[in-house]
This record gives sequence, C-alpha cells and structure tokens, in this order.
Amino acid sequence: MYENKRLGFMFVLPFLLGILFFKLFPFVASFALSLTQYDLIDPPQWVGLENYRDLAINDPLFTQSLGVTLAFVFLAVPLRVGFALLVAHVLNHKMRGINFFRAAFYIPSILGGSIAVAVLWRFIFAKHGLVNIILIKLGIEPIAWLADEHYSMLTIVLLFTWQFGSSMVIFLAALQNVPASLYEAAECDGASKLQQFWRITVPLITPVIFFNMIMQMVHGFQEFNGPYMITEGGPLNSTYVLTLYIYDQSFKYFNLGYGAALSWVLFALVGALALISFWSSRYWVFYAGEKDIK
Amino acid sequence: MSGAAMQTTERPPLMRYLILGCIALIMLYPLIWLVGASFKSNAEIFSSAGFWPNRLDFGAYAAGWKTSTEYTFATYFLNSFLITVPKIIVTVISCVLVAYAFARFEFWGKKLMFGVMVSTMMLPLIILRMPQYLMFRELGWLDTYLPLIVPSAFATDTFFVFMLVQFLRAIPRDMEEAALIDGCNALQLLWHIIVPLLKPAIISVIVFQFIWTMNDFMGPLIYLASVENYPVSLALKMSIGATEEVEWSNVIAISVVALLPSIAVFFAAQKHFIEGATSSGVKG
Amino acid sequence: MAHLSLRKITKVYPNGFQAVHGVDLEIKDGEFMVFVGPSGCAKSTLLRMVAGLESISGGELWIGNKQVNAMPPKERGIAMVFQNYALYPHMKVYENLAFGLKLAGTDKQEVDQRVRHAAKLLEMEHLLDRYPKQLSGGQAQRVAVGRAIVKKPEVFLFDEPLSNLDAKLRASMRVRLTELHRTLRESGQPATSIYVTHDQVEAMTMGERICVLKEGRIQQVDTPTALYDRPANAFVASFIGSPEMNLVKAQLIQGDGQFKVQIGQTCSLTLPASHEARLKGQTDGEVLFGIRPEHIHFHARAQGDTQEVSVSYRFMEHMGSEIFLYVSIGDVPLTVRLPADEAHRISAMARGDVLRLHVQMSVCHLFDAKTELSLLQ
Repeated sequence: MYENKRLGFMFVLPFLLGILFFKLFPFVASFALSLTQYDLIDPPQWVGLENYRDLAINDPLFTQSLGVTLAFVFLAVPLRVGFALLVAHVLNHKMRGINFFRAAFYIPSILGGSIAVAVLWRFIFAKHGLVNIILIKLGIEPIAWLADEHYSMLTIVLLFTWQFGSSMVIFLAALQNVPASLYEAAECDGASKLQQFWRITVPLITPVIFFNMIMQMVHGFQEFNGPYMITEGGPLNSTYVLTLYIYDQSFKYFNLGYGAALSWVLFALVGALALISFWSSRYWVFYAGEKDIK
Repeated sequence: MSGAAMQTTERPPLMRYLILGCIALIMLYPLIWLVGASFKSNAEIFSSAGFWPNRLDFGAYAAGWKTSTEYTFATYFLNSFLITVPKIIVTVISCVLVAYAFARFEFWGKKLMFGVMVSTMMLPLIILRMPQYLMFRELGWLDTYLPLIVPSAFATDTFFVFMLVQFLRAIPRDMEEAALIDGCNALQLLWHIIVPLLKPAIISVIVFQFIWTMNDFMGPLIYLASVENYPVSLALKMSIGATEEVEWSNVIAISVVALLPSIAVFFAAQKHFIEGATSSGVKG
Repeated sequence: MAHLSLRKITKVYPNGFQAVHGVDLEIKDGEFMVFVGPSGCAKSTLLRMVAGLESISGGELWIGNKQVNAMPPKERGIAMVFQNYALYPHMKVYENLAFGLKLAGTDKQEVDQRVRHAAKLLEMEHLLDRYPKQLSGGQAQRVAVGRAIVKKPEVFLFDEPLSNLDAKLRASMRVRLTELHRTLRESGQPATSIYVTHDQVEAMTMGERICVLKEGRIQQVDTPTALYDRPANAFVASFIGSPEMNLVKAQLIQGDGQFKVQIGQTCSLTLPASHEARLKGQTDGEVLFGIRPEHIHFHARAQGDTQEVSVSYRFMEHMGSEIFLYVSIGDVPLTVRLPADEAHRISAMARGDVLRLHVQMSVCHLFDAKTELSLLQ
C-alpha cells in the first residue's frame, strides 16, 4: 500500500497546498515587494534595488538595529545553549527529584514567550522593581535597567536565557544516551570528571549541540515579544532589534517595500550564518553511527 | 536502553542538590513573586522583595479582570479559546495526515518536500508577515480569526509535522503489515492502529500548540483591529498602554490569570506523557 | 483448494538490485513447506510477495485457481505470523484476534465463536482479557498464531516466528505448531503453510518439504530426509546437518575399473560400487569430497562399508552426550562426531598425535569442484 504513489500524494496534498500558498508564495512576494515602494493606498511603484541601497548607505537606524540584533544573538544564544548544556549535565544523574527539577527549569521556557512574562519582566526591572529592591537590600546601587541604554540589552538577553529549559530537555535526552560504559572506561584510563566532560560527553553530543545552536540562533533573530513589550526598542534604540524595525516599517509606517527589504536582509543574515554553521559542522560535529535518513 | 546517567562516586549528592536548588530558586522566583504580588497592594509591590503578601488581597484580581475597557477579561479569554481550540483541532488532523505520508509513503517529490519542510523550520517568519497580511486583506479576512487558524489546517506548523514524523519512524511497521493483512485501508490503519500509538506525540502537539497560540502576540497584533476581538495577549498589552500610569497591581493579577491555562494544560498533560512513555505493546 | 503456484517469480528493487531470480515452486494443498536459507537468500522477501506486502516484479503467483499478483493482502486469503508478533498494543488479546474479522463485517456471534475456538486450540483462553504488554514471549507468539487461525485462511505464512524466543521455548513452540498443523488438517481445515526460518533444525523437524534458497535462487526442494541423504549441491549439503558436512578438495582418480578419491598427498579412499555406477563417464580431476561428521567412526562397521584413514589429532569438544573431534589429514581439517563413551580413547591425546578412524564410504558425497553440483545424481 505504501508503494502507491498516488495515495501518498493525496495524503500530503494539504501540506503541498499550504506550503505553496502560505509560505512559498509569500516568500517570493516579499522579495518582489522589497523592490517596490508601497504604502497600501497608492499602487506599488517599482524602484528596483533602491530600498537595499538606502538601507545600506542612508540608514543609520538600520546600522544601529543590525548591531543591536547581532549583539543580542551573539550574547543570548551562547548563554542559553551553554546554560542548557551545563544544567543538563548537572541534572544527568540518578537522583530523586530529577522530574521536579526538569519541570522547574522547563516551565520558564513555555511561559517565557508570553506577554504576561514580558510584562512581569518589564516590572521587575523597573526603577522600583524587584531586581532593584534586591540590589538595594544587598547594598548595591540600583540600576535604571530600562532607562539606561547600557543595561537595557541585558534585560532582554536575560529573558531569552531564562528560557533555556527547552534546550536543556533536549540535551538531557542526548546525555542520557551516552553509554555509561564509556565513562567507566575513561575512569579506568584515569580521566578526571572535567576531562570526561570535555573529551567524552561533549564530542559525543556535538550533533545535538549543533541542532540546538541553529534552532536557538533562528529563535534569537526572531525575538519580538521581549523587545516590544519590555524596552520598546529603547532607550535610544539600544534594544531596537531588526524584527522591531521591520514591524514598525511594515505595520506602523506602512513603508511596505522598505520593510520587505529589511526582512530580506534579516533572512540573508540568518541564512548566511546557518550556512556557515553547516559548513563548519563538518569539522566539529561527530555523528556516531547514525542510521540513514530514508 | 543502553544509556545511563553518569555514576557519581566522588561528589556527594548534597552539593548537586544545592546547586540545582539554587538555580531552580533563582529561575522560578520571578514567577513565585508574581503570584505573591498579585495579592499585594501597589505600595507593597514596590517595597518588599519577599514574595509573601502581607495580607491576601483579591482586589487586584477583580479590578484587573474588569479592565479599563468596555470588555472584561471574560471576553478576552473567550476570544483566546475561540482561536486556540479550532487551531489545535485542525493542526492535529492535518499534521498527523501529512506526517503519516512522509513517514510511510512514497510519492513524487517526497525528498524535495521534506527538505523544504525542514528548511521552513529555520525560516524567520517575519519575512512572510507582510505578504500574508496583504493576501488576507485581499480575502477580506482581516479582523477575523481566520488568518490565525486556516494556515494550521494545511500543516504549515512544520515543527509538529517533523516531530510526528520522528515519532512515526520509531514505530515498527509489523503492526501495520498485520493490519493490512487484517484488511485495513490507509485511513482505517491510521485511525485504528497509528493514532492510538501516536497518543503521546499528539498530546505533545496539543500542549505546545495550546501554549504557543495562547502566547501568540504578533499574529493577533497584525490581524486584529477591533478590541472586542482581542485575545488575552493583546488585552494584556493594552493594559500597559500609557507608559507610566500603570495600575501595576491589576496588571500583575491579570498576568497570573493569563498564565494559568498554559500551566494547567502543561501539568494535565504530564500524566499522559508518563503513561505514554512507559506503556509499550511492541515486543522488545 | 489452496494449492500455491509460483511461476518464474522475480523481484527487482528500484535501485536495480535483483533479490529473487525466477523462482518456480508448487506447494500442495495442506502441505507444510519450509523456506530455509542463510540471511540474504530472499526467503522472507518471497514470503512477503506471497502475502502481498512486497510487489512482484515478474512472474505469476497463483493461490488456488486465482492469479493474485495484483491483489492486496486482504483479498488473497492469507494470514501471517510475524517474527515480532506485531500485536496491537492498545487492544486486548480478544480484540487483537477479532480485529480482522470485525473489519470484514463478520457478525458478532461468529467472531466470538472463532476467537474462542482459536483460544482453546492454543490454550490461551485465560489470556483473552490481557493486553500484549502483559504477555510473555511465548504467550504473545501464541496470540499471533491465533490471530492467523481465526481468519480461516487459504494459506498460513510464518515469518521466522520462533526466532525471538529462547531455546527452550522455541523447542516447545515448534512441537505445538507442528501438532496444530496436524490438528487443523485432521479437522477438515487443511492449512497450506509456508514457514520461513534460518534454523535448519526447525526446517528439518517441521517441514514436510523444504525449499533451500540461496541468493534468491532455489537450490533444492525435497523432503528433509532426501535433502539430508541426497543434497543436490555442496551448498545444500553443508547447510543441512549440524555440525556441517566436511567438504574437502580432493582428486578423483580412475584406475583398474575403480574410482579413488585422493585427499592431500597421502590419503587415498576407494569409492564403493554404488558410486561407481553413478560416476560413469566422469573425467579425472579436482572434486569436492563430502562426508558428514557422524559418518566417520572410531571402529570399522560390521557392514564392511568403511575405509581406514590416518589422521592427526587437533582438539576435541565434549558436548555431554557426544564429542566433536577435530582432526586433520595433512593440513586438511575434518570434524568428527563421536558418541561420548569413546571419550576415554582420546582423552590422553596431544596435538599432533596420530589416530586411525574409519570413513563410511557408502554415504560419502562428491561435488563438481567448479559448479558444486552433485556428481552422484
């Protein structure tokens, strides 16, 4: 029955239609859009690569936003993935309460994307918010987290890192698949716990590290709720990530062509980084006897 | 199961519990504090770091629920469910059908489509937002829930398709062959044999789609114009509308309420996760 | 009614690999036919083609008087028992047994009757309310067999059903299955069966006829005894029988109206008259000489059909009821099977010691060195 190509095609038809209609067509359309100037009222005007030229040369806000986005991703993603790996490693032991801890670390990752938590974050980092109250109690000068452009980035980085639970769960599963006998052999060979971690654990889970890294990188570039609700891109555009800029241009100022061009730059950026990662993976990702993908 | 956790003979477990406990406490404190703060007065919120309120004051809940708009949160919660429930239903149906196709059948362009599916998982969604907006505008679907629900009916939540495919690949085909010999056609096979075996995965899909849809902000932000159609996520944002003049105690209370459905669903599903993971009828 | 006919059946995979090369086979109504062979010989593939789980690339498959090449499994009147049981984990045993019947629209009473009858036959009435995960391996396999019985099929297909059971259980299930086949036949429900296994013991004890396969080609189809006594080629000769038949390169030399077989430099064995007749017209040259370990003895036989050979001792394995003795003629190794009570004769031997054994020439085999076909047929 499974050799019946027509039947298989029928089953996958909704997906095919969905991809064409809701993903592929908009994808192509957005590029076309980026070559126009369109404000929803007058018909679109063809301007060729002018949008791209503008953002490359004429737009300091773009440069600022690009810098902010890169800073965010290169700060938050390693932190998130790193924390996930470390905590998974600590958690990877036969111990009571493992389920409790796993749930405890996981819950922030499912609630973290909500507006409620963004609101909470906005609050606890406010001038008289929870974090400053604690700082005062510890005798440290309170910081104007949301008003000071040097610290605002940290609030959204922290929110992103706080949600490491989803990555952690994936690491935990991978760690539990590393055979205990390897650690035992290493112990016989005289390896310390630290050496075991770097020489056995990490190399054997490089595929998972790679996967988490890529997925979190993509999430990082798409982060919207946090910057929108907590810092509103400020102060002084210090947290004005590209997604905010694209949103503003597209849905606030209705500069549809320019917004589309910006989104393509973001796409190209993510794509380039993904490709580099894939290319580099050949050198550091080690697949131990993986089955064929058929 | 060949894997096992690392055996520790050196570090006493106490150290481990201590580290994990500290991290857990720091991680969860904001949430614990949030719950406590929802019972506090405005003044108290801004003065104490402890989470236990001086007295349990439900006032913030009442005020927050009423909101300063013409609708109460009852409306907003209803709206959230009006989006979430249909979306979950169509997601499960379409993703199971498509995952079944990818995991079992041969058809034209299968490799290409699978590759496209995996790549779309890594596509920044924002690039599609505006064209989709224009498309839905042409269809006259703006300010309805259709733009939020209909794409999911076509298995465009490729993460779920991927997850279900992985699950299906792990299910041995013997049972399906036995079912074929017993006389099943494709749909009967799917319904009688595969779906029961996919239960844990389907529950995962339901839980995640529920939580992600409840949390969805940008989607409703773009497509919904009338306040009466707002789901909880937009209503929450509204309550922070004016920058400094925020009734924090109300906002905090309503934030707690907003988080409750997700937490409830998550914990309710845990029971099923555990059941699904331990039961197995296939030999070995 | 359920006679099976495979005519020039071939199987070619999309990547070009040909798994089955023109198989011709007739299976009689009610016969218990065993497909046996090493892994990769396509025995399971053939079985699955009969079932309809694999498509047939070429040739015709007839079940009864219908050509079934294009028919889906459910229309072919077959039932299959899988190696991994393939029970539906979310259904109780009763529902597992009833599932196929319910799908076919059989009425409830008939379903119940058939399920209970099968349960009785397999002594599993007490298991009907359990779930598969609550069953032991042997019980699960019985349910799998029961599922096949309730369908009252034209043909039973068994795909290495006992491979996943431990040795003891395998032995008892073997007996149970053979008895079941007999019971069904005697009760007027002849059960044409194809049984696939890689275990030649199962094949020899269960099969009424055995089809030996290698790399998608039939080597020989015959009764167990015939396969043992008269293997058609060296492959069948070494596959059937445990421990394996000794197959050594030798020279066939004719002289003075006698045929001799020369092993190595020194050992020359005369072939008996019975063999002479069948070897008429054969030229001298290299051949494969075959003798089963159980046909080499310590003493000459009363029938006078043995010849003495000098061998050097290598080592021995004591199996309890018998001994496997490993010796060599020059540098040609031989395995010998001796009864345990001969142990004392060789217990003191050291590697290299010479001893005399007697080869039973009346049951030796000769195969062409190139084609490996038997020279005695």
